[in-house]
Amino acid sequence: MKLKLTWLMTLFMAFVMQLSFAQEKTVTGTVTSATDGLPLPGVSVIVKGTSRGVQTDFDGNYSIKASTGETLVFTFVGMKKSEKKVGQSSTLNLAMAEDLAELETVVITGYAGATNSSKVTSAIAVVSAESIEQVPINSIDQLLQGQAAGVNVSTGSGQPGQSATVIIRGRNSLNGDVEPLFIIDGVPVDQDNFRSLNQNDIETMSVLKDAAATAVYGNRGAGGVILITTKTGKKGSGVKVQYRSLYGVAIQPQTRFDVMNASQFLTFQRDLLPGTQFGDSLSDSDIARIADQSNTNWEDIFFRRGKTKSHEVTITTGGETATSFTSVNYYEQEGITIGSDLKRFSFRNNFNVNSADNKFNFSTNLTMNYSVSSFVVDAARGGNTGGQLDNPFIVPYIGLPYLSPYNADGSINIYGTGPVSGGGSGAFNLDGSINADGANGFQNTPFIALNTAAVNTDSETEIKIVGRLAGDYNFAKNLTVGTSFGIDYTNVESLFINTPTSIRGLNTPTAGSESKGSQSESFFRDVNIITNAFVRYDNNITEKLNLNVAVFAEYNYNNRQNAGFTAFGLNPALPGSSAGFIAGDTVEGEDDNEDGILALGPEVGLPYVPGVFSSESEIALASTFATLSMDYDGKYGIGASIRRDATSRFVENREGTFWSVSGRWNIDNEAFMENADWVSTLKLRASYGVVGNQTVGSRYQGLQTVNSGSGYQNTNSYALGTLIDPAIQWETSNQANIGLSFGLWQNRLSGELDVYNNKTTDLFAGKPLSIAGTGTTTVQANVGDMTNQGVDLQISYNILRKSDSNPWDITLNANGNYNKNEVTSLPGGFTGNTLRIAEGRSAFTWFLPRWAGVNPANGEPLYLDLDGNVTNVYSPDNAVYLDKNFDPTYTGGFGADIRYKGFSLNTLFAFQADRWKNNSSLAIIEDAGLAGFANQSVTLLNAWTTPGQVTDVPALSNGGLRAIDGDRYLEDASFLRLRNISLSYNVDRKVLEQTKFFTGVRVFVQGTNLLTWTKFRGFDPEGTNSTTFFDYPVPRTFTLGFDLTF
Amino acid sequence: MKKYLSILTITVAALFVGCSDSLDRFPIDQLVEETAFVTVADLQLGLNGAIGNYSPNQIIAHNSIFTDNCGLGVDNGGQELNALAQILNADSGDRGLWGSRYSAMNDFNRLFAAASTITPLAAEQEQYNNILAQSHAFRALMHYDLLLYYGVDIRDLSAAGVPYVDYVSADATPARNTTGEVLTAIQADLDAALSLFPAGTNDINFASPDFVTFLRARIALETGDNIGAIGFANSIISNYPLANATQYFDMFNEDANSVEVIWRYDSVQGFNLGLNFTWNFTGPGPFVEMSTELANLLPASDIRRSVNIDPASIEEDDIYIIGKYPINSDTQAINDFKAMRVSEAYLIRAEAYARNTQFGLAADDVFAVRSVRDTATTLPSYTNIQEALTDVLAERRLELAFEGHRYTDIKRMRSVLNAGIERDDADCGGAIPCSLAFNSEKWIFPVPTAEINANTNITQAPGY
Repeated sequence: MKLKLTWLMTLFMAFVMQLSFAQEKTVTGTVTSATDGLPLPGVSVIVKGTSRGVQTDFDGNYSIKASTGETLVFTFVGMKKSEKKVGQSSTLNLAMAEDLAELETVVITGYAGATNSSKVTSAIAVVSAESIEQVPINSIDQLLQGQAAGVNVSTGSGQPGQSATVIIRGRNSLNGDVEPLFIIDGVPVDQDNFRSLNQNDIETMSVLKDAAATAVYGNRGAGGVILITTKTGKKGSGVKVQYRSLYGVAIQPQTRFDVMNASQFLTFQRDLLPGTQFGDSLSDSDIARIADQSNTNWEDIFFRRGKTKSHEVTITTGGETATSFTSVNYYEQEGITIGSDLKRFSFRNNFNVNSADNKFNFSTNLTMNYSVSSFVVDAARGGNTGGQLDNPFIVPYIGLPYLSPYNADGSINIYGTGPVSGGGSGAFNLDGSINADGANGFQNTPFIALNTAAVNTDSETEIKIVGRLAGDYNFAKNLTVGTSFGIDYTNVESLFINTPTSIRGLNTPTAGSESKGSQSESFFRDVNIITNAFVRYDNNITEKLNLNVAVFAEYNYNNRQNAGFTAFGLNPALPGSSAGFIAGDTVEGEDDNEDGILALGPEVGLPYVPGVFSSESEIALASTFATLSMDYDGKYGIGASIRRDATSRFVENREGTFWSVSGRWNIDNEAFMENADWVSTLKLRASYGVVGNQTVGSRYQGLQTVNSGSGYQNTNSYALGTLIDPAIQWETSNQANIGLSFGLWQNRLSGELDVYNNKTTDLFAGKPLSIAGTGTTTVQANVGDMTNQGVDLQISYNILRKSDSNPWDITLNANGNYNKNEVTSLPGGFTGNTLRIAEGRSAFTWFLPRWAGVNPANGEPLYLDLDGNVTNVYSPDNAVYLDKNFDPTYTGGFGADIRYKGFSLNTLFAFQADRWKNNSSLAIIEDAGLAGFANQSVTLLNAWTTPGQVTDVPALSNGGLRAIDGDRYLEDASFLRLRNISLSYNVDRKVLEQTKFFTGVRVFVQGTNLLTWTKFRGFDPEGTNSTTFFDYPVPRTFTLGFDLTF
Repeated sequence: MKKYLSILTITVAALFVGCSDSLDRFPIDQLVEETAFVTVADLQLGLNGAIGNYSPNQIIAHNSIFTDNCGLGVDNGGQELNALAQILNADSGDRGLWGSRYSAMNDFNRLFAAASTITPLAAEQEQYNNILAQSHAFRALMHYDLLLYYGVDIRDLSAAGVPYVDYVSADATPARNTTGEVLTAIQADLDAALSLFPAGTNDINFASPDFVTFLRARIALETGDNIGAIGFANSIISNYPLANATQYFDMFNEDANSVEVIWRYDSVQGFNLGLNFTWNFTGPGPFVEMSTELANLLPASDIRRSVNIDPASIEEDDIYIIGKYPINSDTQAINDFKAMRVSEAYLIRAEAYARNTQFGLAADDVFAVRSVRDTATTLPSYTNIQEALTDVLAERRLELAFEGHRYTDIKRMRSVLNAGIERDDADCGGAIPCSLAFNSEKWIFPVPTAEINANTNITQAPGY
């Protein structure tokens, strides 16, 4: 705190010095900070209504001449203005309160490090620790949702620790990487894996949005950059120990569809559904009897209350030259379905030291983490589509309601029941023997899912280490040299066991094999190393002109290895061990021709041949770059950067140059603004630059490869790898940004408004090739152009400000982004089928025939043809562009911070709007073709039956219409979500002082994702897939926690 | 402090100069094209890959699911609905046959290109020749497949055919060659194959001289060269016996017999066509079933009933599971595709005789096949071509069911029989149409949109 204030003060010294002097009696006193009791130097003290003023000295003391009855006005940057009447006493001490609204933020801008926000020339959004700490969402990227303008965050699954997809200012690549570069304390890290990291370690997250900020990241910066800075100790703060804990439960989200109950479903099968099925032969009393016995709402069985627990101890130290931050965290989070959880142990140590003369600085950051994740067969896992019958989230849709989830003894049934024809689930034959086919059949879905969750294993154990060592030395006047080494190390060990006795095990390796089950184990190791060196020149050339120039060299190297095996046939007595594997060369078969020999080929099977694999890839990037920034009098500034990147990914076009220029005009510092008291901050920014995206295609995209594999008759073979364009290079993003930063009425109303225009050229896209002529449909090449134009607005309004007379402090804040994406050039005009990338339209736009409801005369489905006329013929040729895009046009968040005495209420809402997804989950439960074995939506009860009936459900005799439903299930997936709400209480300092033990106690209750407003009919509108198919929804979580500081 | 300065200076300097030579990274798991093919052994690996890329699956699936041989399966969860609904347009429906064939074609053409740079040792000459012979034979087969499905009229030599491709290019945009040009090139490839086959080439898992003769019989029949078809069929028939009932059953049940097989695409563990899964889940559990109509056409006395209908079928509920490629005693449903069988040669000859109005000979050939499959049958007799072709078509439907012929058989005979696809009422309704007119545009496959978009020289088939 003290450091920051001292530094801030220098900026305004000139202003303070200009004040004049007067006489009267001498009032003296000491001004301290109410937060930490330390003296405040440089506070301006003036006598109200006069021009008399002084400033406090280094120890916070002042002395001013004033008469009794006059009022002293104390002002200081970052502190609340305070007025005190001069009484009889000639001593007047004051403890100034911090003014959070006015405190000028320090922004982390990349290689330049911390920069005062008034000097920033680029578009950067900052998310502070406060808004993400102790939120029970265990992936740093997910935490950004709704926090910053232009940052669109979507999560594909409610699995604890699931990484989100982050897109900044619109999709700027079609086939390459769209996500930003994530950098933690100077080390680029895997953008898709944060589950092992402790978000409570984060001090700030800076989102770099325009080229002025990102061009210095060269061919990795086009998607934006997210800089994460972790906590450090504060100099002179001594030793502080904090214990933090969190307890919570996660529950299922709101259900936005209705399936039939047992009685409805059986009656529906009998009375409405054509064809032969179980319900057909039942009488009303049969149905009543069955429904009475078991009327299962499978939601109740599959969703559970997932518990969250977190315990953390942090120790911060701050001496004169060295500071440290150490945290140890244990975190456990259960998903909302059985078998989904995350357990994590995290450790971090950040250490900083400098020489007594401040010329030499040295720091280390190290985090070591161990996590174990257990997975269910959800849509986001592995190569799943969501349609797997052991996906727990398919069951609330299609699980038959007349099946009971319980065994006779009341325990959960994980195998299923008797023959389908007798109203069972088909897992067992009449004689009680298991029926492997029936057990894996549609009717048995609920039990397959329960079985897999209960007895099979799918887990990953991860070790993640991110560390960095950095040093710099101010070796000569104005010159600093520095270097750093960083590493991001991820090691994942996966274990997948299909237990021999499980339902899935019945057909593994094959239905006929004598031994069953399989076990896969693999490791995945990703090592990312970065080294960096720089020389910096920083000089105040004149009193008003500051110049800062730096030159850098950097080398990034990534190595990725994975290997593993799958063994088939397990001894159930030795689970998880190779001791229980059946030998791979075990022969099984039938001697069909009874010649006493198992003939090789026709009669012999080798069901237990294990699968093995091993693979490695690497990528290297060597770069040199330079930055320049100039400031004139705090009024004008320019920044520039240039970077040359050479990458191993490309061969012919290996080296690219990326650059940016930017400028600012701090209008508020102009003389003509002196009288405009209501303007506290007013800064105009502009930037233009060229940034690249090298993450396109494979790691060897520049080389024509030939794959070795297994060919005809399982022989070794060579086959051409994907056809490449040898001239392939990075995508180029040309970004212009104009921004206005403002703070009005003592920054009560503050914000940032940015407009941008990003044009991506050399877009990595499929160049259509004649398949006949070349053997392949497309070659990925730098052929397309795309623009993203939009507006970011970040605004904050401090309605009520805490003061001596007012205990309330209320701030409303909001951020939003409007983004218009347009593919401006694409060879061939478009790619894709129903979800297209088409020239002149936004990327991922829907192209479907239009559903026009049901013909009241005969119940058949109707469509619109190309001209908009109603037709009863479905034809893909009638598909049209619907002007509905998958990516949202509007994103953002808003909320309020309300403080009253020790209480604080914080809310955050997040939204995405104008976003369309195909709801295939719903299509499944409105499909008469599946109603023989899958539960259906109650809407099918309204199916057309009589001529003249107006309904939106066609006659059931039309069978399943999913192949020909056009845009029937294309739904508005816009949503508004109460992302987080927390109420906390900080125990009063005076009470704490009496305990002589605690220095801070905070207790809070919190709700995450509590409410979602959407038109989308499912569990969760969010998701990252354009088509929803039984996704794992994001849960609602309630937590309670406390932070104790000693 | 001097110490720090020197350390920093050294590291900074090292970093500034040291890194640029570490950027040549080559794949560890893959080869690079320039150095992949050096020896004849490498070419053999290339041939293994190229033949491996030839896939009969699309043709088998289309000819069954699109036609009256299949219906919606009891366990259908949305699979194959487009094909059952006969949705065939430029965006979908061709099952990627165009792409699959031309992609494999490219593999063979690259193999030719690689071979031209390699001079075999004397001991390698036979292997080298065989690699080239196989490549010619497969290139001919694939061009024939393409011409048959995408050609505008295989009987009109001047009609638009398909691009004939015997080169490697990164940007070629070929136009359709005429049917005549394609057929000439196919024959040239077949001649080249014959001249290169090492003496005694007779492995039925690969192309062979009999493979060439058989393909020529098919081509002759399709192109209206009845005399040629009879001649080629004669030479096949004289070399291969028809399988008796037991042999026939074994041939499909365990791939255990191959007396009547001229060429089969070999499935082995680790490289399995997975033909059973064209219609069935691994469960099993059919998402597509044999049509009730076809099942009813197979009498109990016909061995083809027990071959085609899986024992797990529930016949009283009209649930007929396609069992032609069953889960064998190897338990893994590893089945060869018996792509050329002598019984087809009989039926080719029968059809050629019939078209030549030699109805007696035609009836003899149909009966030759029918009687060996079904003990309770009598010699048919025909009085006109419609009658004869109707019976040949019916016999082909049973004999070659699920072997990739039904759609092209109806297509070939529709102009004589004036009939398209007629599904039985039990097998259609709702989204699944009951008929496809004999003059529908869907008898010629549309060129895929991707090709049209990329290739301005190609013309779309009429009606799309």
